[in-house]
Amino acid sequence: MAANFWTSSHYKQLLDPEDVDVVHQMDKDRGITLEDFKLIKLHMANYIARLAQHVKVRQRVVATAITYMRRVYVRRSMTDCDPRLVAPTCLYLASKAEESTVQARLLVFYIKKLYSDEKFRYEIKEILEMEMKVLEALNYYLVVFHPYRALSQLLQDAGMNDATQLTWGLVNDTYKMDLILIHPPHLIALACIYIASAQMDKENTAWFEELRVDMNVVCHLISRPKQFTAFLDY
Amino acid sequence: MAIAAPEQLNITEVSTWGSRSVDCFEKLEQIGEGTYGQVYMAKEIETGEIVALKKIRMDNEREGFPITAIREIKILKKLHHENVIKLKEIVTSTGPEKGEQAPADGNKYKGGIYMVFEYMDHDLTGLADRPGMRFSVPQIKCYMKQLLTGLHYCHVNQVLHRDIKGSNLLIDNEGNLKLADFGLARSFSSDHNANLTNRVITLWYRPPELLLGTTKYGPAVDMWSVGCIFAELLNGKPIFPGKDEPEQINKIFDICGTPNEDIWPGVSKIPWYNNFKPTRLVKRRLREHFRHFDRHALDLLDRMLALDPSQRISAKDALDAEYFWTDPLPCDPKSLPTYESSHEFQTKKKRQQQRQHEENSKRQKLQHQQQHSRLPPIQQSGHGHAQMRAGAGPNPPLHSSQPQVAGGPGHHYGKSRGPSTGPGRYPPGGNPPGGYNHPSRGQGGAGGYGSGPYPPQGRAPPYGSSGMPSAGPRGPNYPHGGGPYGASGTGRGMPGNRNQQYNWQQ
Repeated sequence: MAANFWTSSHYKQLLDPEDVDVVHQMDKDRGITLEDFKLIKLHMANYIARLAQHVKVRQRVVATAITYMRRVYVRRSMTDCDPRLVAPTCLYLASKAEESTVQARLLVFYIKKLYSDEKFRYEIKEILEMEMKVLEALNYYLVVFHPYRALSQLLQDAGMNDATQLTWGLVNDTYKMDLILIHPPHLIALACIYIASAQMDKENTAWFEELRVDMNVVCHLISRPKQFTAFLDY
Repeated sequence: MAIAAPEQLNITEVSTWGSRSVDCFEKLEQIGEGTYGQVYMAKEIETGEIVALKKIRMDNEREGFPITAIREIKILKKLHHENVIKLKEIVTSTGPEKGEQAPADGNKYKGGIYMVFEYMDHDLTGLADRPGMRFSVPQIKCYMKQLLTGLHYCHVNQVLHRDIKGSNLLIDNEGNLKLADFGLARSFSSDHNANLTNRVITLWYRPPELLLGTTKYGPAVDMWSVGCIFAELLNGKPIFPGKDEPEQINKIFDICGTPNEDIWPGVSKIPWYNNFKPTRLVKRRLREHFRHFDRHALDLLDRMLALDPSQRISAKDALDAEYFWTDPLPCDPKSLPTYESSHEFQTKKKRQQQRQHEENSKRQKLQHQQQHSRLPPIQQSGHGHAQMRAGAGPNPPLHSSQPQVAGGPGHHYGKSRGPSTGPGRYPPGGNPPGGYNHPSRGQGGAGGYGSGPYPPQGRAPPYGSSGMPSAGPRGPNYPHGGGPYGASGTGRGMPGNRNQQYNWQQ
């Protein structure tokens, strides 16, 4: 989206990690732990990405869909909204919001093709109904900013165009966590560049210093290595 | 995890979420209508605040929440400007509403979703159509300035409105003008040349490049519409009232000249250029046609109605135009008079009622006179002579013709209400080429018509100049302005309707 991130609803809605990592009471009652909660969301992010490959939409749509899904579960329990229905619904909604509409029947077709498990099988009607619930849970805020745009600008500036593929992949991986709900996208991009620099043995401390961003935040972002790498390996 | 994030992060606003029910509002009156849904004036029960409710119809929607509504919501949620309508919230109706059948499958959302907007008293078309209404020059400048300011804001935020027209410009009783109905709007990026649909913008306000079928376009399309509105304000009636695409483009070429590679480089590459290739070459005669406008107005209009979109003036540059900085200056919105609420939907309805009344009396073979009358622009004294020409228009003189006209084929009171109407509003040939006084129809009983160089009202501009006459009856055929807040849908003078657009609009 073109508008300025700092004036966007995305920015205003950034959350504390403490607010994101909350298992709803109803889910707790069913024995779902925080780890389970995170893991289910991770699985659903993968589900969305897999489905997206079949219906052929851009990465941006996938990223928006995953963001919607993660936002939904800040506000709704998994008991309320079955993740196996929420995931494709978020992809459906994101495809509209990102102007690359996918027909509901196409989604349903691929869901059936991908999963033989009855529990994944939802019909068009159910997706359309869930769409309204998702919209409500999102409070109709549909604009999401992603790190990709900032990433290419920053890479150019750092003279690291050779790291495009690596960093792009890292950014994709960040969607396995809730980072997009917590941090501004350009910092996520920066953190990915930081990791890439380390992996490539590239010395660009000076460049990072010149940016005058609070490196504490960047470090904080990647200082959850336990999660980060754990998810990367997943 | 314990590290505190710096202050600029974590500005958490765990706002209340989930939508309220439409039952929080009491519907007072319908103020707009369209395929998209209805628009109501409503009162928030708790606060007593008056709002506008725009219903998004969900039934018959195969692909769930309409993508046009998604676009509109996305765009409105990111635009915050005093000249852009404010979307306050979105509410749902939980059950069947009065007069509606309960959805068979019990899906509560089928009942409807409403967008809640701040209430605005008028739309520009409705206001201009008020009997006896005439705008002063500072008033026109004031509205134009606000229109351009709002549009500039949209364009800076990379939003194309794509349906600028009088009924989408809302005006409140403090003289503020706001852009509304972003149902056809979309965001654009200047860097990548996406293909966009050319089936946007109400026919009369549609720019030549869209009529010629281009799919790569930018903010200039909105500026053409602004030019049409500007001319309409000064002229007293729409300047290009085409009834279909070919006629529309001919009307444009007739005044703006036929394009060629010299004045519009690249025009011959536009998809449908050859279909519309003019048979005879016409020179641009915009300045002659509107010679009665004041010089600065004409300079600005000339640049807004440039055929070549790349030469068309931008909103930003238009705001710098001499026109807005020479006497009489645009007035302060707050200094404008207040009027009783008027929306095109309502004025239209009133006129329909009136027409019915007339037909009744006709049936009773009673002598009747058209009650609604148009008024001429507030004339500039120096231009008093222009009024003389009014009667010289090709139109048959007035009163006697009224009953026939009312039944006439193309007339605005004609009954065709379907899509792609647009034609009606003025009878064929009702377009005198030279005069700026609109055709002399429908003025029976008008006190104001041609009443002299100075306006009868107290609010005369210091030194007058052309102004806005009330633009006369806008019949049901007015391209389905439908109404404010964009309830309007079909029609719009284009072949497709909104629903059709969902699928292929890029």
